[in-house]
Amino acid sequence: MEVLKEKVEEEEEAEREEAAVRAERGEKVVRPMEVRREEAPMTQEMLRDLERKLSDTEMAIPEKLSTFTKDTIAISKLPLSYQSNTLKEEHLLQVADSFSRQYSHLCPDRVPLFLHPLNECEVPKFVSTTIRPTLMPYPELYNWDSCAQFVSDFLSMVPLPDPLKPPSHLYSPTTVLKYQEGNCFDFSTLLCSMLLGAGYDAYCVNGYGSQDMCQMDLTRDVCPLTVKHQEVVQEEEKVPPKKYAVKPPRDLTSRFQQEQETKKQEEIKAEEERRLREEEERLLDVEKAKTDPLHGLRVHSWVLVLSGKREVPESFFIDPFTAHSYSTQDDHFLGIESLWNHKNYWVNMQDCWNCCKDLVFDLGDPVRWEYLLLGTEKSHLSLTEEEEDGLNDDDDVENLGKEDEDKSFDMPPSWVEQIEISPEAFETRCPNGKKVIQYKRAKLEKWAPYLNSNGLVCRLTTYEDLECTKTLEIKEWFQNREDMLELKHIDKSTGLNVDYFKPGHPQALRVHSYKSMQPETDRIMEFYDRARVDGLVKREETSKTMTEYYRGRSDFLFYRHVSFGDRVKKLSLNSAESNPRPIVKITERFARNPEQPADEDVAERVFLISEERIQLRYHCRDDHITASKREFLRRSEVDNKGNKIVMTPDMCISFEVEPMEHTKKLLCQYEAMMKLKNEEKLSRHQAWESELEVLEILKLREEEEEEHRLTISIYDTKRNEKSKEYREAMERVMHEEHLRQVEAPLDYLAPFLAQLPPSEKMTRWQAMRVKDECLSDFKQRLIDKANLIQARFEKETQELQKKQQWYQENQVTLTVEDEDLYLSYCSQAMFRIRILEQRLNRHKELAPLKYLALEEKLYKDPRLVEFMKVFV
Amino acid sequence: MNWLYDSVEPRVMDEDMLKLAVGEQGPRDEAGQLARQEGIVFKDVLSLRLDFQNILRIDSLWQFENLRKLQLDNNIIEKIEGLERLVHLVWLDLSFNNIEAIEGLDTLVNLEDLSLFNNRISKIDSLDALVKLQVLSLGNNEISHMMNIIYLRRFKDLRTLSLSGNPIAEEEDYKMFICAYLPDLVYLDFRRIDDHMKELAEIKHQYGIDELKQRENLSQAQLDDERAQREELEEHKAAFVERLNGSFLFDSMYAEDVEGNKLAHLPGVSELLQAYKDKFVIICLNIFEYGLKQQEMRKVELDTFNECVQEAIQENREQGKRRIAKFEEAHLLSLNAIRDESEVTNLEMKVAEHSKDITELFDMLMTLEMQLVEQLEETINTFERNIMDLVALFIENVQSLMAQCRDLENHHHEKLLEISINTLEKILKGELDENLPYDVRAVSTLFVDKDTIVNAVGTSHDLHLLKIDNREDELVTRTNSWCSHLVDAIHKDEIMRNRRRVKEIHQYVDHVQNELDNLECSEIID
Repeated sequence: MEVLKEKVEEEEEAEREEAAVRAERGEKVVRPMEVRREEAPMTQEMLRDLERKLSDTEMAIPEKLSTFTKDTIAISKLPLSYQSNTLKEEHLLQVADSFSRQYSHLCPDRVPLFLHPLNECEVPKFVSTTIRPTLMPYPELYNWDSCAQFVSDFLSMVPLPDPLKPPSHLYSPTTVLKYQEGNCFDFSTLLCSMLLGAGYDAYCVNGYGSQDMCQMDLTRDVCPLTVKHQEVVQEEEKVPPKKYAVKPPRDLTSRFQQEQETKKQEEIKAEEERRLREEEERLLDVEKAKTDPLHGLRVHSWVLVLSGKREVPESFFIDPFTAHSYSTQDDHFLGIESLWNHKNYWVNMQDCWNCCKDLVFDLGDPVRWEYLLLGTEKSHLSLTEEEEDGLNDDDDVENLGKEDEDKSFDMPPSWVEQIEISPEAFETRCPNGKKVIQYKRAKLEKWAPYLNSNGLVCRLTTYEDLECTKTLEIKEWFQNREDMLELKHIDKSTGLNVDYFKPGHPQALRVHSYKSMQPETDRIMEFYDRARVDGLVKREETSKTMTEYYRGRSDFLFYRHVSFGDRVKKLSLNSAESNPRPIVKITERFARNPEQPADEDVAERVFLISEERIQLRYHCRDDHITASKREFLRRSEVDNKGNKIVMTPDMCISFEVEPMEHTKKLLCQYEAMMKLKNEEKLSRHQAWESELEVLEILKLREEEEEEHRLTISIYDTKRNEKSKEYREAMERVMHEEHLRQVEAPLDYLAPFLAQLPPSEKMTRWQAMRVKDECLSDFKQRLIDKANLIQARFEKETQELQKKQQWYQENQVTLTVEDEDLYLSYCSQAMFRIRILEQRLNRHKELAPLKYLALEEKLYKDPRLVEFMKVFV
Repeated sequence: MNWLYDSVEPRVMDEDMLKLAVGEQGPRDEAGQLARQEGIVFKDVLSLRLDFQNILRIDSLWQFENLRKLQLDNNIIEKIEGLERLVHLVWLDLSFNNIEAIEGLDTLVNLEDLSLFNNRISKIDSLDALVKLQVLSLGNNEISHMMNIIYLRRFKDLRTLSLSGNPIAEEEDYKMFICAYLPDLVYLDFRRIDDHMKELAEIKHQYGIDELKQRENLSQAQLDDERAQREELEEHKAAFVERLNGSFLFDSMYAEDVEGNKLAHLPGVSELLQAYKDKFVIICLNIFEYGLKQQEMRKVELDTFNECVQEAIQENREQGKRRIAKFEEAHLLSLNAIRDESEVTNLEMKVAEHSKDITELFDMLMTLEMQLVEQLEETINTFERNIMDLVALFIENVQSLMAQCRDLENHHHEKLLEISINTLEKILKGELDENLPYDVRAVSTLFVDKDTIVNAVGTSHDLHLLKIDNREDELVTRTNSWCSHLVDAIHKDEIMRNRRRVKEIHQYVDHVQNELDNLECSEIID
């Protein structure tokens, strides 16, 4: 009876969902709770029946969008290891096959293992050998989070051809990197290779994931950038009351009333909370996705990082699509079929009825994890694991070699080429430098730096509703901006724009929040006060006021508030520029100057300009509760009759905490007033300057927005045009220098051409003349040279003759030294004469030849050739 | 110079002259007018110029208490005097006078610039008080000895010195010597000293300077040591246990004890004495340590108390300030309202309302103050009780320790007596005569009969007890008086504080009320 009932159920089930059928057929150990109850024997007929039905109903498989199929990959260009298997690999495949046979024999109800998919060259390759542990040369890729982020950014996701089966092909990480596309297995293989290279104890996992995860659907996730940091409220330490702390004054209010009041408050609060909760629940219901019919059957691949190496305190999963890390207890991971790294392959023998929550990741336990190859690390129980680990880390190779002898087999080296990422690709990151991720009520767009001309690298758009139609706010991140703009935050609901700047803006701007760029409207500017001479921290503006906050000034000013009146209409034409708003009131506050007594240190200064009054409030003394005050009625110096007004006692009203002798004096008051008058002038000037500065900043900002120039680091040899140009120029100069050294060409026609009238076409006659002149000049020079040599020759000969004569005359009287001198002179002179003679002869020989050569050259000269031709 | 002295009648610095000078050098224009109206008080004058007045004697300057700059150049002053009250003086010019010795500058600690150019000074001294001196002009004087330069080493801020026109400036080594011995000097005789010169000078006079420095360092170290010791002693005194950290008390017991010292030569007594001393010193040390510990405790107690009181006062003050700030806002508003009001009935109503506000403020402030007074009183009483208890405990324990001292003394006395009597007996029997050391023989006058020796030992004993008692008494009295002083001071301070605050509140409220009244008057007049 029970069976029959089950049957009925089955049929209904089958008609509804093909998934359930699959679940029955598949009969996996790895299976979530939902499908577990269909665990019942089944007749063959029923199965056939269902199969028929199945063939009718089309499975809604997402089409493989991949643009890089086998055809597009140039297989022939791939290295040999991609196209064939070595002996060892063949052996391994045999081992794997036999393992697979044994496995299917022992566990007939489980799906076949994902052991040796085909690679891009249609060659079966064992999954472990597809992993190629590589340490990237970029320091940014040393930690798992940045690695995962890189992989998720760099590759674009392609869904599995069949979401319920592992893929038939698993391409090498190099190919995946080249085409920047892949399914979850490609993602996790690449990530696993990088993590293993960086020293993590990482594994590729073949298992089952939730729909959101398999399809990389983040629309139900809150964008991590929108999550506000929870302010950690520091529990204030309760200071134990000190021994002599004064007792508080007696509380005379009725306790009963208080209690009643608190009760009432609590009730209201509870009511409110209930309402809020209900609201939240309602919202959650709306947001909750409809249950997935294929829940628990969708194949997914991700990366498991075990604790131990690289100071990882606890094992965790990384989803390679999103680069998020999850605890091993997370709801998104519904089961594990097998896992592998570059050394071994383990099959999960534990029951996954409760997702992955109960799994124990002790790979050395052969009851829980069936290993494929004996004798690699982790083949020990975790009791000894720790010590083993340490050893194995150091001498993997050695160990492997040893184990080879006594044990059966070890993993052949990876067939994959070295994984390489070019710096350009690394910087560009996303395919084509752009990536869009849709989150719950948010959209995140990423760009590579320098891709956008305005330096935009990231934009986060937050929406009010789930359908993403009403924009709530936009956040834009910029990089390498010359104006140091870092983040632009636009709140659509209030229309408030907030710009954040990094240090280095020409006006030391830090934050600028505004609604419009028009002057004299509401805006707040914050500054890097260290970078400013006046120590301005913040300037708030409304249409009628301007408030400035300062820090670290030597005059202790920290606050200035200026109220403006209505603009007086001027008749003159150029009123637009030179008509500042009249200042009604300036309030300035000063911090305490420790060098002055409190009674003389002004705390607040109010210039009521329209009322011609100045109010001073002094600082409060340490042990007082009242502060001195003084008010000056600053009437104009000249009254309406033109007489000079003399200071009178009623022009100054003061209250002094401790009356002092000298402050009562008119002279003192007069001096104080004169000083204040000057200071009033200064303050007004300051206010005016501040206004000007605002205008200037606004103008500058507008210009910057329009130009949005980007800075390029001087170390960026590729982009830095200037340095490139400079370098090239340097190279060019060097080259030219080199050329010049080799040969300095002389223009023999230049002096003659220069005599001609410039910028006119040479006539034939002129050309002839030039030629003749040139030739005659050359002839003259040759003759001159011959004459010169001749003259020298004759001179030498004459001198020698004279000397000889002199010698013969005085031969008798000469000393031995003189004679020696004479002889040496003679030999030198003879030598010179001989040389000159030789040169003269050679010149005589060469001169006609040279002359002919020049003539020839002139005939062939490009400037003269046309005339010559005609002439000839 | 001198012809002036001969031919012109010296003038006296009198009120008129000063007034004239002040009037001439005072403010100008409108300010001057105002000043003349009110009259200038000498106390307010900051700078005064009295040159070319033929002044012979400095006088009548005592009123210029706040004077910063005084010029008395080109007179015929012969002696520096009458400047004692001008303690704020920064700049003093006494050039072109007939001064022969530097004197009368001991109170001018703020002086930075002193000019004694063209006088008859032959020795630099009596400038010790001028620690801030930066500029010293002593040109055209009669300084003839180089050693005067070394005196100037003590002025760490001295940067400018002029000595040209003195006999020493004629010496060939003059510049080098000064550069070497005053390395911080920047300008000498109105010229900048270049670094090269400095280096040369330093090399030349290296030995002399090193020696000098060594001496200076030594004396400095000595001074430091002394100061440290004094401080330590002060600390111990504050704990009332000074000089108990050694054998000082014991030594003082024997310092005036002739008999005791004599008896110490008896055989066996020296060992006894040594043992006694050791024990005694240990007890003294106990007292000392206990005293320091107690002092620490008292200090902690006092600090906590002060802190708490300060906190309470601060909080109260903040409250008061808040109230006043709040009131002031309302006050301004209502004053404006009253000013603008034209209707008489409304006006009166508003005025009445405002005066009510003022009274309310007064009440509130006074309530706050009274509350604070009550709170503080209670706290002060608690503190008083606690500190009294502490002191009583301290005294009690010290007394018990002192009693141990006395016991020791008694014990020692008995032993000594025994030995003495034994010795006396032996002497009387003539047994020990030969063996007695020479010292004992010297004291053999004591060993005449039993009474003498008992008396002698007794005197010694009494003296010792007296010393111990004195020390104890001193400690107890000082402790008690400290305690009562402290408590008195606290009470007094609190009362003063209260008075001041009440006065302040009254003053403020009066002022506010006045403002209102004035406004009212003017309104009515209008």
